[in-house]
Amino acid sequence: MPAVPAKIRAYAKQLLQLSLDNGVVSAERVAGVLEYLEKNPPARLSLVLAAYRKLVAAELAKGEARVEHAGPVAPEALAAIAAALGRRYGRPVAATATPNPALLAGLRVRIGDDVFESSVSGQLSALSAGA
Amino acid sequence: MFAILAASTEAAAPASGAAELIHRFGIQPGYVAMQFVSFAILAFVLYRFAIKPTLATMDERNKQIESGLKNAEATAAKLAEATAQAAAQLKAAQVEANKIVDEARKAAKELSERETTAATERANALLKKANEAAELERKKIMAEAQQEIARLVVATTERVLAKKLTDADRASYNEAAARELTNV
Repeated sequence: MPAVPAKIRAYAKQLLQLSLDNGVVSAERVAGVLEYLEKNPPARLSLVLAAYRKLVAAELAKGEARVEHAGPVAPEALAAIAAALGRRYGRPVAATATPNPALLAGLRVRIGDDVFESSVSGQLSALSAGA
Repeated sequence: MFAILAASTEAAAPASGAAELIHRFGIQPGYVAMQFVSFAILAFVLYRFAIKPTLATMDERNKQIESGLKNAEATAAKLAEATAQAAAQLKAAQVEANKIVDEARKAAKELSERETTAATERANALLKKANEAAELERKKIMAEAQQEIARLVVATTERVLAKKLTDADRASYNEAAARELTNV
């Protein structure tokens, strides 16, 4: 996949900033940005839209925590994790539970590009790597 | 002279004996005088054309011989000098040759020692490198063995835990994990 030119990346970042409302991606603002682009199409519109979509997806992923678990997890635990991540990133975070038996026991939380894990599988992997 | 002789013969009486004797031997003064003249002429001719050239030739020969002897002496002296010089040069050359041979031996000995030292150092370096390579290989094998053992242990543990852990165990572990993650 060819690299996106720096000029287009910078333009897409500006569009993303326009799409945020109190640090959160707003559907209305995204619709406004798209309408603007439709009326005033820049050069290489497809590249701009692809870069903008990628940035919006990444921004949305920062507001969604995917919690992988092996075994039952209490809804209160999920809520506590979402609250803790919201405090950490300074934005509302929603937690979504996903079963993952490979963890054996414990949790793995993915939010954006970050991963937090406390699981038997992870500890065994660390033990194996340390050996 | 013959006149004097005749006069003396006539003048002295005792000389009559001598005259008689001359007469008895048949000596004729004229002949004697002629003999003297002939002898003188012969002597002059011999001296002039035979003896004198011979003497001159002999003198010349003597001079040549003396010159030859002198040249021979000079030549002998030069020969002796040349012999002595050659001997001195030969001795000097021998000393120089001995010096060169000694230096060559010394250089060869030093070179041999240097090469021996270098060969020893190379051998030690190779031995050290071989030991290091063997040590690295041993560590690598040990590490691989440890990793393999750890992998086997982890895999076995995972299989055992997957079978043995109950939902209650997992719920308890998840609760603890959630508490840990809320503190991130």
